[in-house]
Amino acid sequence: MYRQLCKVLLFCLVVTGCFLGCEEPDERVHVRIWHQKIGAERVFFERAVDIYNDSHPDRHVEILYKETEELRNLFIVASAGGQGPELIYSPADNLSIFALTKTIRPISDALSPDYLSIFGSDGVLSWEGDQLMVADQVGNHLTLVYNKALIPEPPTRFDELITLLQELTVDEDGDGRIDRYGLTWNYTEPFFFMPFLTGFGGWMMDEDGNPTLNTPETIQAIQFILDLRDKYKVIPRESDYNIAETLFKEQRAAAIINGPWAWGGYADAGIDYGLARIPRIAETGNWSRPLVASKGYSLNANVEEEKLPYIRDVLEYLTNAEIQAQMAKEISSIPTIPSVREDSVIQGNPILRSSLNQVEVGLPMPIEPQMRQIWDGMRGAYQLIMNGSTTAAEGAEKMQKDAEKRIADTFL
Amino acid sequence: MKSSTKDRLFLAMLLGPTIVLVLAVVAYPFFENVRISLSNMNIYHISDWEVIGFQQYIAVLSEPQFWEILIKTLVWTAVNIIFHVSIGVFLAVLLNQKFVAGKSAWRVLLILPWALPQYITALTWRGMFNYEYGAINLITAKYLNLPAVEWLTSPLEAFMAVILTNVWLGFPFMMVVALGALQSIPGELYEAADVDGASSWSQFWNITAPLLKPAMIPAITLSIVWTFNNINVVWLVSNGGEPNDQTHILVSFVYEAAFSMYRFGWAAALSMIIFVILFTFTQLFLNRTKATESVY
Repeated sequence: MYRQLCKVLLFCLVVTGCFLGCEEPDERVHVRIWHQKIGAERVFFERAVDIYNDSHPDRHVEILYKETEELRNLFIVASAGGQGPELIYSPADNLSIFALTKTIRPISDALSPDYLSIFGSDGVLSWEGDQLMVADQVGNHLTLVYNKALIPEPPTRFDELITLLQELTVDEDGDGRIDRYGLTWNYTEPFFFMPFLTGFGGWMMDEDGNPTLNTPETIQAIQFILDLRDKYKVIPRESDYNIAETLFKEQRAAAIINGPWAWGGYADAGIDYGLARIPRIAETGNWSRPLVASKGYSLNANVEEEKLPYIRDVLEYLTNAEIQAQMAKEISSIPTIPSVREDSVIQGNPILRSSLNQVEVGLPMPIEPQMRQIWDGMRGAYQLIMNGSTTAAEGAEKMQKDAEKRIADTFL
Repeated sequence: MKSSTKDRLFLAMLLGPTIVLVLAVVAYPFFENVRISLSNMNIYHISDWEVIGFQQYIAVLSEPQFWEILIKTLVWTAVNIIFHVSIGVFLAVLLNQKFVAGKSAWRVLLILPWALPQYITALTWRGMFNYEYGAINLITAKYLNLPAVEWLTSPLEAFMAVILTNVWLGFPFMMVVALGALQSIPGELYEAADVDGASSWSQFWNITAPLLKPAMIPAITLSIVWTFNNINVVWLVSNGGEPNDQTHILVSFVYEAAFSMYRFGWAAALSMIIFVILFTFTQLFLNRTKATESVY
């Protein structure tokens, strides 16, 4: 029995060794990128990487998609453990978390000052004096998306829009249930509350990163959206991201507040859609200003020095003016190189022009590490507000308290 | 070499890989988690963390939300298990009756909720719970004239929605276990009971129930541990604890603390507390019910 077992083990070892030995050694330099690109953006990215790999037989760029939250968490865990991809592509709001956890190193270690100088201020992102990200696009911003068949030209003030939305909100079959709403958006994520808060002149944090949510501006903004639902009845009683998307795609909502990641899906659903700035708040005269964030590449802290020249080449290929112009043309992304942004081809694209128009009044997404706790603090109260179980004033107070508690908790 | 030494060596060769594997995937992560639970590891100290003693345990136990969620988790587990077992056993007994036609078809149909990926089922139920467009409110309004319920936006209703989904997902497991056990009960016992004039109810309590026990107690124990730790359904149906973190159970609370707040030390301490709760319960339950004894 003992001898037989030894023979079996020996046989297994020989077979395994043969297979390993027969495999040709891969001498290419591997550059791994984890990203969160979806839809048309991902298709474009994959194609661009394939072209690069085909023209560089001595190296291989490997890309791996991960959902945004998973991407951030897994990258932190991997990099803290001395592993992970050489490059991570993510929204700029992750930067401070990566920097605090020491999981990235300055992007200027790979790219020269000359190359970085071609980007606008939203193309090279810094935190505490270090250049940490090179962005290939700016945006990630909310916009008013409207169905042209129902709204030929949306008004620029909310009071005028509300009148129009009341006409568009209809019970077509008279069964007492609304068949089409004027407007919809995601009620569960406070990111979608920001245009209203900024429209009333509010903001979520002070210069030191302390939450500033229990303010008259927050209360007014909350009351405004409650009025849209309960007084004017132009938005659904309950709506999360998927419901809002479905309502708009099935023409059961005339307009939606959503971002660039979703626009391709509306075209696919056969909606003739247009983009417009989220209107001004009549009471303040302010535009409802969404948050605007760049998306780009950061360098893993564990990258070996000898790989840096290869990474530089890959980064320059993926972020240069030529590829940004192609991206703008094909997937309507907003370039971070000013000369490309001003290009006549881009200016001639109506979707891109409208998107840029919204970005002009947007506010940069803060990259402070407290941002995460502030979002989490706002989320619960925002949900309670939208389900009608708390008043505007109580909601604002709860947002502030929850955000403060979460920031304090993080230190233990 | 002596034959006894050879045998020992042979045994060691057989057990060696298993021991290495268990040490690598169970023991190492467990003791690493204990170490992290005694540390200040968080976003500000992810690589330069240090051991701070039992502070994280004290912080967990002095957090009022922990106690609220613990009670909610116990309710969640108890309600789910009661429904899983009662529906599962009821359907198994029904399917075991001679008069039921098309048993195979019924069996397949009833196992379907279990066979489908949890992810799909949970998200489908989430859609069905929508206030205006969900199937549940539409059906109850149309056929029962009941007012629409805010299943996903009110805390109590949202918790009920999560439980309903998990009951749907969980009963087939109990049904399969009970059906297997029922089919191994000798028919002669029922025939003898019939001769003695025992009623169906009496037969169930005096024959079926005691003979189901050896199969059901381990299944119930397993199901309690699974349900207590079932993050998938809670997370997907309530979209991560909505509204306002009111639908969390302990395990989803751990996930949020670790991967949303990056409070790794705190989350590790909480997960150790969950381990102690489940370990103690399992030992007490198995000892009290003598379930393992009756197997041998």
